[in-house]
Amino acid sequence: MPGPQPDPHRPVTGPPPVLELQEVQIPGRGQPRLDGVSLRLEAGERVALLGPSGAGKSTLLAVANGLLAPRSGAVLWEGQPRARSASKRRRQQARIGTLWQDLRLIEELSVQQNLNAARLAHWGWPRALLNLLLPLESEACAAVLQQLDLDPALLNQPVTALSGGQRQRVALARLLRQEPTLLLADEPLASLDPRLATDLLDLLLRQAQAPRALLLSLHRPDLLGGFDRAIGLRRGHLVFDQPVQAISTTDLQDLYSSHDKGAGGISG
Amino acid sequence: MNATRLIRPAAPLLVVLPALVFLPVLLSLPGQIHGGGWDLIGQFAWAALTPSLDPLVLQSLLNGLAVTIGMALLGWALSLVLGLGLGLVSSRLLWRTLTGTALPADLIRRLLALPRSIHELIWGLLLLQLIGQRPAVAVVAIALPYGALVARVLSDLLDALPTANLAGLRAAGAPAPAALLTALGPPLLPGVVSYGGYRLECALRSATLLGVFGLGGLGNELLLTLQSLEFHELWSGLWLLLAVMLSLETVIGILRRRWSMPGRFGLAGERSGGGSVGRRGREILLTLTLLLPTLVVVARALAVDPSTLLHWQPLPPLAPQGWATALALPWPRLVADTLVLTLLAAGLAVGGAPLLLLLVAPWPWGRRLLQLLWALGRLWPPPLTALLLLFVLQPGVVAAALALGFHNLGILGRLLLEGSEAAGPEVEQGLLCGGSGPRLALLYGRFSGLARSYLAYGAYRADVILRETVVVGLVAGSGLGSQLRESLSAFAWDQLALLLAVYALLTLVGEDLSDRGRQRLLGTA
Repeated sequence: MPGPQPDPHRPVTGPPPVLELQEVQIPGRGQPRLDGVSLRLEAGERVALLGPSGAGKSTLLAVANGLLAPRSGAVLWEGQPRARSASKRRRQQARIGTLWQDLRLIEELSVQQNLNAARLAHWGWPRALLNLLLPLESEACAAVLQQLDLDPALLNQPVTALSGGQRQRVALARLLRQEPTLLLADEPLASLDPRLATDLLDLLLRQAQAPRALLLSLHRPDLLGGFDRAIGLRRGHLVFDQPVQAISTTDLQDLYSSHDKGAGGISG
Repeated sequence: MNATRLIRPAAPLLVVLPALVFLPVLLSLPGQIHGGGWDLIGQFAWAALTPSLDPLVLQSLLNGLAVTIGMALLGWALSLVLGLGLGLVSSRLLWRTLTGTALPADLIRRLLALPRSIHELIWGLLLLQLIGQRPAVAVVAIALPYGALVARVLSDLLDALPTANLAGLRAAGAPAPAALLTALGPPLLPGVVSYGGYRLECALRSATLLGVFGLGGLGNELLLTLQSLEFHELWSGLWLLLAVMLSLETVIGILRRRWSMPGRFGLAGERSGGGSVGRRGREILLTLTLLLPTLVVVARALAVDPSTLLHWQPLPPLAPQGWATALALPWPRLVADTLVLTLLAAGLAVGGAPLLLLLVAPWPWGRRLLQLLWALGRLWPPPLTALLLLFVLQPGVVAAALALGFHNLGILGRLLLEGSEAAGPEVEQGLLCGGSGPRLALLYGRFSGLARSYLAYGAYRADVILRETVVVGLVAGSGLGSQLRESLSAFAWDQLALLLAVYALLTLVGEDLSDRGRQRLLGTA
């Protein structure tokens, strides 16, 4: 695997991009799931990931959160490749926050215990065990709930007692409690009714201020409004990567059209 | 939200809480060690890698193994037949449908509690005294308690089935027997077949154990090689037994999945999927028809002759003043020892499995190593472990608890691992991606969802452990088991009767407690 290359176009000063993919290749059955995908996410950027089903959006997010290692190419988080030592790697992972489509809340635990589960990367065993016994760091937990317009009284509730919309927000609150710099979200709006979807999207976009950055896969191009950039994926290829204002309806029609436009496509 | 609510331990913590018994056990170990046999332990461990390959040794071990498997198979088959019959006649639903009253069912249930409460080893030793050394003894010893257990499980399953279908058929004018068979047969089948498969695994373990106490088969060879310190030969036998046990477990697991039967872990819940009904029925029927001639051949080969069971040997006369001596036994200490032994062993087994899994979580090979260790634990009859421990430990509760705990750890560990693999990786993966360590991710991500069903199974296991205390007690000299051994060898039937009564009472109370615990764990979701 070739080592990461410094980008000649990058300014010498300033922080490294929050996430950088260089020519990432993920093999698949038949055609590759990702084929030579490169992209950069600077601090403060809010980027939407568009593409038809099976385009490789989830694969791209799995590469971005470290779940999948590319066969070739490089992934850099804040300018660093995947750390070798286990402890450094944990610290690196702790700065990558993922909002899962299925939320992945721990059903048997209370809201507060779920929120605190996001601190496990930094906590030792004593605190991790104590969290299962006592309410820990209640103020910090209440603060993230309030940020998301949730009542702090929910802290003692079991997550099974929450409504669908509340569960979404608690999952987002857990993400904030993790204090990540890179926010990733895999179709977080897919199962929500229109009003809840726009609410949650607003909350997410509000959280993505520098030094944070947001990469969110989206199945509804009509919600692109609050994003800075959009990336189009089709059959594992990057089709476009441009500011939201520059995206035309033809771009979107081409992206979602049923006929095959061939590999490569337009590059932004 | 009140104060008690706030400090209630959460699900994943409950799973590792029983492991707290490791503290007193480990703290007491230095006082228990007598240091005599460390070199023997070393030789034993080394011999695991260098088992004897002498053809003569292997031949005799294979013969023993064949006898053990034969005993297990026959005892198991007999217990199923007994259990099916007795289970049907102890079902409240059946009596109510056929006669209108459930009273006889309750009566039969009470009666069946007695054979169930007495461990197969005690049945074996009693029959051995009454009938003498015959192949049929081990078979009957397994079949009696197992049959009563199967009967209980079957009648519980039957009485827990929804009765709407039955009522519907009855209302449409179907005669009671036909309605019962049609409405209850199909939903009952998966549970019964799955439980039957599990009992076969248990029967193999029991047959090995009975062998250790002289009822024939590989167990006897294992004991003799251990006592004569022929560790290389001992390990040849153990590896053979391991191969058989693992293949049996694999085959049963494959059949269970193929016939979409519920796993052992969810004692309640888990519905079987549809779709394979016709094929499943045919295959089960085919298996049964193949089983029958096999059983006949095995019975002939082992020279099992049911008529020998009728020739009882005369009992030696009782000593005068026997009852007075029997009553003067140190009952409170015997009972207390038995209970402490149960609690320690149950804690070691129930808490040890998740603790060890957490310990090896960061290493991919750790899990494989644990699986091997647990397989050895399941396979090893606890009295042999106790004998081995006695090389370096004083006889007593701690040695007995370690031996019993190790055996049950093997059983619980396998179930926990199966359950945690079936639970799906998503939550654990999510935590790992957020930077939590592999151990904490396992604890929070997987054990949370498993906690209730695992502890419910643990409660059931504690009940089994209480029954098994007598087995290690016989060797490691603690609790009722040690006294039982003395009374047996002294032919003191009066003491024996009293001991068995106390033991049966204990196990019945234990069973009731464990049932309540299980219902609480599974009931309140």
